[in-house]
Amino acid sequence: MLSFRIAVRFLRTSPGQSVLIIAGIAVGIAVQIFVGTLITSLQANLLDTTIGNASHVTLQNADDKKPLLYTPAIRRVLASDTRVKLIVPDRVLSVIFSKGTDSAPINVVGAAPSDINAIYKMKRHLVSGRLVSAAGDVILGKSFAAKYQLKPGDPVLVVLPGGEQQKLTLVGIFDVGTSAVNDRIGFTTPDFPRRALGMAASEYSDIQTQLTDPFRSQAVIRSWEGLEVFKGVQFKDWQVENAQLLVGLQSQGSSSYMIQAFVLIAVALGIASTLAISAVQKTRQIGILKAMGLTDRRAGLVFLWEAAVLGGCGTLLGLVFGVGLLQLFALGPLTFPIVLDPAFVAGSCAIGVAVALLSAIIPSRGTSRLDPIEVIQGAG
Amino acid sequence: MPDDVLVLAEKLSKVYGDVVPTPALTDVSFSLGCNEFASIIGRSGSGKSTLLNLIGLLDTPTSGRLLLNDRDTAGLDRDGRAKLRNTFVGFVFQFHHLLPEFSVIENVCMPAIIRGERQSAELLDRARDTLDTLALTDVADKNANEISGGQKQRVAIARALMNRPQLVLADEPTGNLDTENTDLVYELFRKVNREWGTGFLIVTHDRAIAQQTDRIIELSDGRLVQDVADPGADLPAESRGA
Repeated sequence: MLSFRIAVRFLRTSPGQSVLIIAGIAVGIAVQIFVGTLITSLQANLLDTTIGNASHVTLQNADDKKPLLYTPAIRRVLASDTRVKLIVPDRVLSVIFSKGTDSAPINVVGAAPSDINAIYKMKRHLVSGRLVSAAGDVILGKSFAAKYQLKPGDPVLVVLPGGEQQKLTLVGIFDVGTSAVNDRIGFTTPDFPRRALGMAASEYSDIQTQLTDPFRSQAVIRSWEGLEVFKGVQFKDWQVENAQLLVGLQSQGSSSYMIQAFVLIAVALGIASTLAISAVQKTRQIGILKAMGLTDRRAGLVFLWEAAVLGGCGTLLGLVFGVGLLQLFALGPLTFPIVLDPAFVAGSCAIGVAVALLSAIIPSRGTSRLDPIEVIQGAG
Repeated sequence: MPDDVLVLAEKLSKVYGDVVPTPALTDVSFSLGCNEFASIIGRSGSGKSTLLNLIGLLDTPTSGRLLLNDRDTAGLDRDGRAKLRNTFVGFVFQFHHLLPEFSVIENVCMPAIIRGERQSAELLDRARDTLDTLALTDVADKNANEISGGQKQRVAIARALMNRPQLVLADEPTGNLDTENTDLVYELFRKVNREWGTGFLIVTHDRAIAQQTDRIIELSDGRLVQDVADPGADLPAESRGA
């Protein structure tokens, strides 16, 4: 460990230089952790908001005007596919809400209460009242209820496509955080839309599915398309429906990687230049040590150890700064939760040390090749 | 020629430069026995330091053969040369070349630590003994930058002796010292030579200093022109030194 001792001593005798480079690495790693975590959390939140409460692959009749027959064979295929984590057959009925002189179009989705809760996390999003349980129960979005001054227990008059008027009972108000749902969709039991649409017990508007890995939706659809049971069935892929969002997320991710990469390059150049200066400053000492018998390898290790110590201290400090900054940021009015990914943080730290070590290669090789006679003759 | 040969040089030559070859040393042959106390003299540019650097394995000869302790140095790689430098030779240069980042005692321990010894109490005791021999007991724990020039050069001598080398190579070791310190350094060299049996090869341009050694090897224009044992009895009349 002589090389390590010499490295530490060299660093201690140039405290200003050592502190500056440690600060440089710390800032780089802090930015890396902060920006990376922020962007990842934002993307995760956007994805969760977009597809967490939505179908990933939706099955419909190939003929849009006809209902989908939910056969036992389809039920078996979907239930046995381990890539599918949730199956929600539903019926969608377009009605006109009416109150006094006001009216508004609204889609009423009828599905099993447990399924509605599973896909929309409705228990979590319920702001007042309860979930639907009986035929005639309906829950509506917070903004819709506020606009028409509705509260749980109030009657909800709707006009069916045939012109028939139906009275439902508002039992709960939800807020899923998406205006498309909050403003225009109500949820009820499966029977009300079935009767209104004149569907058989096994007929549905569509079957919504959620996958364990939403990004494998294309592969899932490809594997289903060839099956006989899905003849006459069309599949709607969330990735196709949200192509613009995905492009946005990818661009955001690329920008984040670019920022992180340039920060790391700046850090690497900083360490490399400092170590190069240090190597020049310590040439005489290294030459003397070599004259005393220090081998090339051990001489080269001196600057690798310097880099490791600088990289380790800088990374540790950067970790504290980065996490601290995220905690501070989380106290502000953020609209999404910041989730620290231990693997990303560990990766950032590993990259910090690795960059420091890579930066030391040139000065280390120079030191390794140094001939002691150059120093001895130079001093004479 | 002594029975136990420490250094055997056979037609050693050194030429610097490829485009314009400049010979620094030409066909120098001599041997140095154990416990010898010898000096190399010559004018500036005569090849004294080049010869010392070749013997100390800091440089490689262009041609010729160099044996240290009966071992041919031609086949040694860089690590092998470094190891032999560490164990067989102790260097004392005109400039002390102490490491300013370390204390006096750490500087003295350095050759032993490079050899692989741990910084144990035993090692520190040995270093203190060496420092005692050189009258440096009081400065052992000071930083190498906090002592006088004469003390620094004596610390460099202590460092050269730390691994108890068979041969000490000194290149103008008192070139930067006053008369008092110069006398002190040569007294110490003599003492170590007598008490520890360490061989000395001292490069100097000062004939008066050379006369204090047991043998004078004189170089001129890179060639060995005179090799005088017991120089006190047979001195060249003309003083060629600066």
